[in-house]
Amino acid sequence: MSDPHPDNGGDFFAQFLDDYFAECDEHLTLVRRHLLALEEQVGRPDVDPALLDELFRSFHTLKGISAMVDLSEAERLAHHMESYLRALRQKEARPGVEGVETLMAATTVLERVITARRTGEAPPAIDTTVARLRALHSESAATAEQPAPLQTADASDTDAEHVRSPARPSGAAGGSEHARVWRFEFVPTPALSERGVNVNSIRARLQELGEILQATPHVRGDGGIVFEFVVATGFEESTFAGWHEDNLTYTPVEEATADTTEAATTNGRAALSSDTDEDSHPTQATPAASMLSPSNVVRVDLARLDELMRLIGALVTSRARLDESLKHLKRTVAPAEWRALQETSLAMSRQLRDLREGVMRVRMVQVGEIFERMRFVVRDLTRESGKEIRLELLGQETEIDKFLVERMTDPLLHLVRNAVSHGLETVEERAALGKPPEGKITLRAATSGDNVLIEIADDGRGIDAERVAARARERGLISGDERLDEAQLLELICAPGFSTRDEADRASGRGVGMDVVCSTVEELGGTLRLATEKGRGTRFTVGLPLTLAIAEALIASVGGQRFAFPQTVVREVIEVEASSVRVLENNEIVSYRGEVLPLVRLARLFDLEETTGDSFHVFVIGGGANAVGLVVDRAVGQREVVVRGLNDPLVKVAGVAGATDLGDGRVVLILDVAALKHSALGGRLAAGIGTAI
Amino acid sequence: MSNITNDTEPFVLFELAGTTYGVRSRFVQQMEMVEHITPVPNAPPAVEGVVLARGQVIPALSLRARFGFEKIPYDLRARLLVVNSGGRTIGLIADTAREFVRIPAAAIEPPPEAITGLSGKYLEGIATIDGRMILVLDLGEVIDLGDQQPVV
Amino acid sequence: MVTASLRALPGASFGEASSGLEAIERLALAPVDLMILDLNMPDMHGLEVLDFLRRHRAYSRIPVIVLTTRGDEPRRAEALAAGAALYLTKPFAPQSLAAQAEALLKAHPERA
Repeated sequence: MSDPHPDNGGDFFAQFLDDYFAECDEHLTLVRRHLLALEEQVGRPDVDPALLDELFRSFHTLKGISAMVDLSEAERLAHHMESYLRALRQKEARPGVEGVETLMAATTVLERVITARRTGEAPPAIDTTVARLRALHSESAATAEQPAPLQTADASDTDAEHVRSPARPSGAAGGSEHARVWRFEFVPTPALSERGVNVNSIRARLQELGEILQATPHVRGDGGIVFEFVVATGFEESTFAGWHEDNLTYTPVEEATADTTEAATTNGRAALSSDTDEDSHPTQATPAASMLSPSNVVRVDLARLDELMRLIGALVTSRARLDESLKHLKRTVAPAEWRALQETSLAMSRQLRDLREGVMRVRMVQVGEIFERMRFVVRDLTRESGKEIRLELLGQETEIDKFLVERMTDPLLHLVRNAVSHGLETVEERAALGKPPEGKITLRAATSGDNVLIEIADDGRGIDAERVAARARERGLISGDERLDEAQLLELICAPGFSTRDEADRASGRGVGMDVVCSTVEELGGTLRLATEKGRGTRFTVGLPLTLAIAEALIASVGGQRFAFPQTVVREVIEVEASSVRVLENNEIVSYRGEVLPLVRLARLFDLEETTGDSFHVFVIGGGANAVGLVVDRAVGQREVVVRGLNDPLVKVAGVAGATDLGDGRVVLILDVAALKHSALGGRLAAGIGTAI
Repeated sequence: MSNITNDTEPFVLFELAGTTYGVRSRFVQQMEMVEHITPVPNAPPAVEGVVLARGQVIPALSLRARFGFEKIPYDLRARLLVVNSGGRTIGLIADTAREFVRIPAAAIEPPPEAITGLSGKYLEGIATIDGRMILVLDLGEVIDLGDQQPVV
Repeated sequence: MVTASLRALPGASFGEASSGLEAIERLALAPVDLMILDLNMPDMHGLEVLDFLRRHRAYSRIPVIVLTTRGDEPRRAEALAAGAALYLTKPFAPQSLAAQAEALLKAHPERA
């Protein structure tokens, strides 16, 4: 019962939520920027009214869209923030330090509420924040005795405010069972038809189930016919779950991916309310939205881009197969014709690369977005720590894959926080050291080849290598007195639970810990480097791949199984006669370019059947004294492969970097040659601490 | 429609070594015939390898091996149940799987001491429906191989 | 009646569909050389079925004869614009349908 259709639009609520998160992101970014600007204006006789307008609109929109997705905590917070802003706009209150402070704190809580919804966690408590906001508001209400405002909110705002307020039937709908909407797909076949299972009987069956909202025929890529029925039914899934035997499959239409029943009812309700009070949301229709997002910008769901990338990946795979076939054809086709074919194939390859890059560019966002957020964090930390900090941002225009940005946000936050809390000295300490009182943190982004580099540097006290070493010895992580170099230092501070500060930070609900920084970077296929000097400062450099992974690979068979090897690491493929192998202290060696090349038998490493042929292929890895020969049975080809992650702990084994499919539905493992080499030379094959990335 | 209440839940039933097991159908993303599985070297013994399911490479776990039963070759009846749990997507291989039933929450009782053996650990409870015994899987336990870290 | 009138066609086999969806299902069950569509079907309008055929390459070349009852003539131009090969208004002479069908099949020999 495999589904031949790409799973598009199967879940409009999930998509709706994605839009919501995207829009929240935009508004929160704006809010943060505007609040920082507002803070600078505190105490001036007149605050820029445009700024207040912008903030008001953002909160207003956040409130409206949060109501639409039934995220009541966010709605409440935004509502109180909006109310305070209204008071400010109408000059019933004056923005003060306390007010801006509270708005900033509330923004942070609001973001946590939204994030919690995204990750499916319990939302943080908002009562204290709401109370603080209300206090501001009631003060302002009290100060403004005379209720006649000189300047009324514009009509659209009042309208929206008016219709928004009736409470949605949150409890009312609670217990009763809603009809759910399902999308059924029926693929007719002659065999089914003979059994009397045809589109008419299926339709009759579905009619029994509930109401058919829509019946549409579709043609699949291969020309086959599929009927899609959208059905609203109160019957449970089990009623029709067995129907797949009749080629009748189904997917829920309105259920989000969350698997808790609570989420399911929430969805039902939200879907309901979006139907019934259609005209009541103060939606994007506000002038603010159109002003803020230029009309030539289209917001695209990341999942759709992923789907596009997947399709391109499939194209790359097909082209590689075409290439393969062309090679076989060479012998049988006239040279001129073959060349023409070959040229077309090459042109296609180039065009594919362009297409891929084009789609990839769509996924790119500017690093500045994440840097802005850091500004906010640093500002908060500055207040808390009493340190003086200057934040320098460089290379904000550098573009990076949206997915990477999202994954890296928390780790970068952690590094920045570390720099402020532990890296920089206090004003007094700095004075005593003859340093300028103001500590400096630099965030820098730059593109370097196929990588994006993000640097987080401070001019603080540097990491005390001796203290780290002492602590590591204490815990038995290292022995001996050798001096630690920066790589070893990084490895230690990345060890889970190594830093007590991490523990403290985590306990206080902030930050993710150095170990998470390291593992996230590793997971994303990036690198992390550390440079630190006592008394001068610390610099972390994160290197991330610019592009999604499509790699040139060598395919080889070992013990009857195919494996892929990243081509960049294979220096040469040589054929070795079995008889020319010599054994030296339990190591097999062959001579290679006048030197000795130790052999590593993959079949042995992987516990596969070993070849007994007269000769075999060897992939030469590394150069000079470090060269190692990986023994495979046969190299069978070379092609572009789409690298897929292999992230489930069940199959995350050392020596395997990922997987790919060569177009025949079978998975081929991509080997992590460096780890294999390492293991073969007596090192650990266990995944190890995530620094040697 | 009116007799549907909230305290029953649909389950996918599957067979393993002559016993019927149930898994909550909301965790089951799809069911497929068992086709080519690529072995992953040095993975835990119960992990048969990886398969391609809807463009995603996911691990395939032999329930027989996981529960300590003897492994048998896969035939046409064997099924790969693709389940989602704890943010992970995993394929579980069962001897066969064809049925769906609703099981009231009240019908699920904790597993008796007698089967707290190998497979008892992976059970959430036991339900008896129409005189038939159904062992209800604790999916989280089944796919957590924390006790079986891959070793090299 | 329509089916009966087609019996005159030598070597042809034909099936009837009672609804638009069923007509489309026929395409999946066996190759179809010619489709005769009534505009008034219970679920889909005949023009929708026609449009479906024309939009999908695998079926876009199947010749279609559209039938309708008297009084629905304004549809005629629409049907022809949508790609119907022929438009017949009921009642019509059975032989004429058979003859037209035969002519269409001959004109599309690659499907015969």
